[in-house]
Amino acid sequence: MSLILPVLVLGPMAGSLLLCRVSKYRDAWGDWLLRGMSVAFCCLAAAVVAAVSRGDLLAFTFSGAAGFGISLTADGFRGIYGLLTAFLWLVTSLFSKDYFAHSSHQSRYRLFNQLTFGATMGVLFSADLLTTFLFFELVSLFSYALVAHEETPQSLRAADTYLAVAVIGGLVMLMGLFLLHHHAGTLEIAALYNACQNLAKPTRYLIGGLLLTGFGAKAGMFPLHVWLPKAHPQAPAPASALLSGILTKSGIFGVLVINCELFRQDFAWGLGLVLLGSVTMVLGAVLAIFSINLKRTLACSSVSQMGFVVVGIGMQCLLGSHNSLAVRGTLLHMVNHSLVKLVLFVAAGVIYLNLHQLHLDDIRGFGRGKPLLAFVFLMGALSLGGVPFFPGYLSKTLLHESIVEYLWMLPDYAFPARLMQGVEMAFLLTGGMTVAYLTKLFVTIFVEKNPRQNELDAPREPYCSKTTGVALVLSACLLPILGIFPALADGVADLGQDFLRGHSPEYPVAYFAWVNLKGAFASLTIGAILYLLIVRGVLGKNEGETLTYPERWPRFLDVEDSLYRPLLEGICHVGAALMRLLATLPDALIRAIRDGGATLMRLLAALPGALVGAVYAGATAILKLMAGLPDAVVGAINRGGFCLAQALDGLLDGLVSRLQQWFLRPARPKPFPGKLLGSFCRVLFPSDEEEPPPRPVFTESISYGLLLFSLGIVAMLLYVFVHAWQTIR
Amino acid sequence: MNYLMLLCILLPVLAGVLMPAFPCLKREGCRRIYLVAVLILNLLMALAICLTPHLRLQLLSLTPKMPILLKSDGLSRFFALLVGSMFLLAGIYSLEYMKDDPHRERFYVFYLVVLGTLNGIAYAGNLITLYLFFEGMTLLSVPLVLHNLTKEAVAAAFKYLFYSIAGASLALIGIFYIYIDSNNLEFTAGGALDASAVAGQETTLLVVSLLAVIGFAAKAGMFPLHAWLPDAHPVAPAPASAILSGVITKAGVVAIIRFVYFTVGPDLLRGTWMQYAWISLALLTVVMGSMLAYQEPLLKKRLAYSSVSQVSYILFGLATLTVGGVVGALLHMMFHSIIKDALFMVAGAIPSPTEPVAVSQLRGIGRKMPVTLGCFALVSIALVGIPPTGGFLSKWHLSMGSLSSQSGVFDWLGPAVLLFSALLTAGYLFPIAIRGFFPGSEGEDSALEQREPGILMLAPMVILAAASLVLGVFPEQWMAALNHLAEQMA
Repeated sequence: MSLILPVLVLGPMAGSLLLCRVSKYRDAWGDWLLRGMSVAFCCLAAAVVAAVSRGDLLAFTFSGAAGFGISLTADGFRGIYGLLTAFLWLVTSLFSKDYFAHSSHQSRYRLFNQLTFGATMGVLFSADLLTTFLFFELVSLFSYALVAHEETPQSLRAADTYLAVAVIGGLVMLMGLFLLHHHAGTLEIAALYNACQNLAKPTRYLIGGLLLTGFGAKAGMFPLHVWLPKAHPQAPAPASALLSGILTKSGIFGVLVINCELFRQDFAWGLGLVLLGSVTMVLGAVLAIFSINLKRTLACSSVSQMGFVVVGIGMQCLLGSHNSLAVRGTLLHMVNHSLVKLVLFVAAGVIYLNLHQLHLDDIRGFGRGKPLLAFVFLMGALSLGGVPFFPGYLSKTLLHESIVEYLWMLPDYAFPARLMQGVEMAFLLTGGMTVAYLTKLFVTIFVEKNPRQNELDAPREPYCSKTTGVALVLSACLLPILGIFPALADGVADLGQDFLRGHSPEYPVAYFAWVNLKGAFASLTIGAILYLLIVRGVLGKNEGETLTYPERWPRFLDVEDSLYRPLLEGICHVGAALMRLLATLPDALIRAIRDGGATLMRLLAALPGALVGAVYAGATAILKLMAGLPDAVVGAINRGGFCLAQALDGLLDGLVSRLQQWFLRPARPKPFPGKLLGSFCRVLFPSDEEEPPPRPVFTESISYGLLLFSLGIVAMLLYVFVHAWQTIR
Repeated sequence: MNYLMLLCILLPVLAGVLMPAFPCLKREGCRRIYLVAVLILNLLMALAICLTPHLRLQLLSLTPKMPILLKSDGLSRFFALLVGSMFLLAGIYSLEYMKDDPHRERFYVFYLVVLGTLNGIAYAGNLITLYLFFEGMTLLSVPLVLHNLTKEAVAAAFKYLFYSIAGASLALIGIFYIYIDSNNLEFTAGGALDASAVAGQETTLLVVSLLAVIGFAAKAGMFPLHAWLPDAHPVAPAPASAILSGVITKAGVVAIIRFVYFTVGPDLLRGTWMQYAWISLALLTVVMGSMLAYQEPLLKKRLAYSSVSQVSYILFGLATLTVGGVVGALLHMMFHSIIKDALFMVAGAIPSPTEPVAVSQLRGIGRKMPVTLGCFALVSIALVGIPPTGGFLSKWHLSMGSLSSQSGVFDWLGPAVLLFSALLTAGYLFPIAIRGFFPGSEGEDSALEQREPGILMLAPMVILAAASLVLGVFPEQWMAALNHLAEQMA
């Protein structure tokens, strides 16, 4: 158990909090503390490399932490990259004092800078994939603050894209880890190869694809590269250097792990990686040629260079056990790219610091008469362009040789021969494009004249502080030293290749043999032609004496704006609409049941009422009829009796008067005071004309109905009793 | 010692009911001390029960088959501790949050009474006892939702009541059915139901089990009885929202665990259509909650939708019927409580002239309330499940449980859905934290007048946020107990 690794990982994180406190107290102290910490961690990382090259075992396990234990380990590759990381952090922290001299939120930058540092160390020294994942996610979160630091709308948007890609990538990767852990039972990198021996091919490819999505997103692999050309330029220059130089490599670290442990010598996987890498490589270079912004060009160039590295990783698989060229090429290209991007981005930062511009037309001619800056930039450009005597040449030669070697071996396989020839062409072409865009940058900044050249040349305070200058020149000098003495580079490769499961080649590579120089010259020639014909001829626009670079890259080719964002938003909108529908379903159902139920119930509740009403109305009518019947009968009898009585009365009257006439003639007798019978009859049978007696109102009242109902019940009871009686008998 | 459980239930209830009776408690200071003392005492008793061996106390018998029984086992201890600590923190928070509320006494009364019923749910020893306290808790927690007496609050409270009772009656069907054929149904880890007793009626058992799960899950906000939750949680006062989302939803989960793992037994359900239906409902709710939260402009409502989604993570873990899934579910019970309490506390700490606060008003708020929003950022990360926070632990175990559940397509669909939901979680929580700290150049002056809240509100938030991180980084010390519990159950 060595504590040096946890100190390297947790030290910066703990230190960052201290830094925050100190910075609040006095800003200058924070700056000194940051530098002191960076130097100390650089020394520690160097000690790790020393220990590793001695063969010491540096492993640390904090079992149980975060659920699965955090385990760190160091080997040659990890040591080299740890040292490079610490070195880059040191140089950028030396530069950051200048860069942030007039900006706000400096302490926030320092805080997240150191947090990112610790997390990156954690990724690089992780011994199992869960530890890798843990620190990988932390890197994404912490470095968000670095990208968003300026808080301009562009930088916020770029940072959002960065975070979105990182989070999506991280979750996809986590799915891969779930499956890998489930099927292999372990996530320890060293044990992974053996554990995966029995993995079914489809599962293996699925897991590999998921993990590659996560790691590749960070490395800027096509088609998840979209965030990189936006996020890297938006960060402050020291952070851009770190993002391009180191953080992309943390993604590559993961790709290497999958490649070496899951897919060692797997043909299909290797071919897939080579193709993806080629696309990334060419695409990045094309974007860089079209780019008209200094930092954006450098960022696109990073995409392209990561493409080279991925091609190299794919070649390791394709070449099987004879893959030492590809292994060493990959390794050296990574190291080369880290150093180059450090130098170039810091140089770009110096330019930005003076002009607050990055558009090529605005910074044109700034470098005239500044030999130091020109030297630094040239070292970076030459190395990146693959010019002999620079490390970029060595790594590209190795990678190119690996492709050529594979083409030699190919007749055995036959199928991808044409494809691989295409890859080789693309490789050389991209090398040419690299030269072209670097020439474009160099010529624009250091050779051509600005229309306002007088302003630029006007005497002013030194364009960068001594500290920055010294750090920059020293870093730039590293490049030619590595390139002129290939033995040094070979030493780095020897140290790092174990991690990539590589071994030293059977015979030393003759870097400066004509066969190898040929490739470099081919690329340089292509580059010169491209620069003259395409860059100057097509992309540039002659305005009087100067050549300006207008935006020529069509907007609709921005995959993020034209595809990814609309797609994601569309998915979200459609999904949310669907889900809202579903979510409101129970409520709607309940409302429907409630309303429908109420209507139904109201109907049901009204039914007996209606029934009762109907029955009541019917009964009333019948009863009225019945109640009218006696009256009618009485009336009829009455009327009949009356008529009869009147008839009788008349008859009697007539008879009496006849008798009177007959007996008492001639005197006419007074009529008999008759009607006696009539009035009697009237009393007996009252006629209609008279006031009828008041009719009882009970027929209209409910009590009458109830009474009848009760009577009905009584009748029914009686019936029941009778029935029962009969049954008993 | 057995009466300690009874005391756990009675003490908060009595303390709450008697609160208006003591004249000295009309004084603000006395009432604060009284409240905190009761909450601390409750937590201490829960701790004491953790340290004693398993307790058992039979109170009375409704019928010989249905005794009112209290019992303490692993799950009781876990839940009682969770409830006790969350109530203590939310109680401390409420002291300051409610200090200008004229009706705060009423709030505290019901706050304590609900605590007692939740303890009852924790210590219930059989389904009848559990149901008793469950219904009691439903009825007594309505005043917490109702507290503000606005039109929305009243409507939401009745919706809550309606859904809860509808759910509980569904569950009651299950309880009736189970009691018909069986005699002794004391909770037993791994299931108390005699398989021979239901032989030949498997389909009926599955149907009523599903009904019971759906019914109890009404409290936990699972589709199709989820609709009350996004309405009820935001209208309550912040400490009540915290308790509703953080703890009371978990009461539904505990009831489901008691029904499925302690009464019916997972073996009878494993591999049946009932399990798949349950998983589907849980996963559907996970996506639904996240999607709706992602589109929701109001802060507290967004958090409520998030609860819909997150509590269904727990139900999904339980539905896998594997040890890993149960461990994940228990972990997520704990971490979701911690996280959602903290989130609602943060939401309550943002003073707003116009309720409710929209997410868009929070731009630049981190400059003025760095600690509050720092807590928000940390627990957001934890809820998304980024290591080394606690949320990652639960997500890991849930997914591992699902992958080993041998439930066909759900093996891998479950983890995929969880991760998709985690992405949406990041989508609806991160922008708040990010725009709070990185408002951009034009977002400096937010419409809200913000200042950091007082220490009584700040301390619980900080403690919860720290817990979500520290418990995630050092899980070994306490995970063993959860593992043990899960192995007994599944």
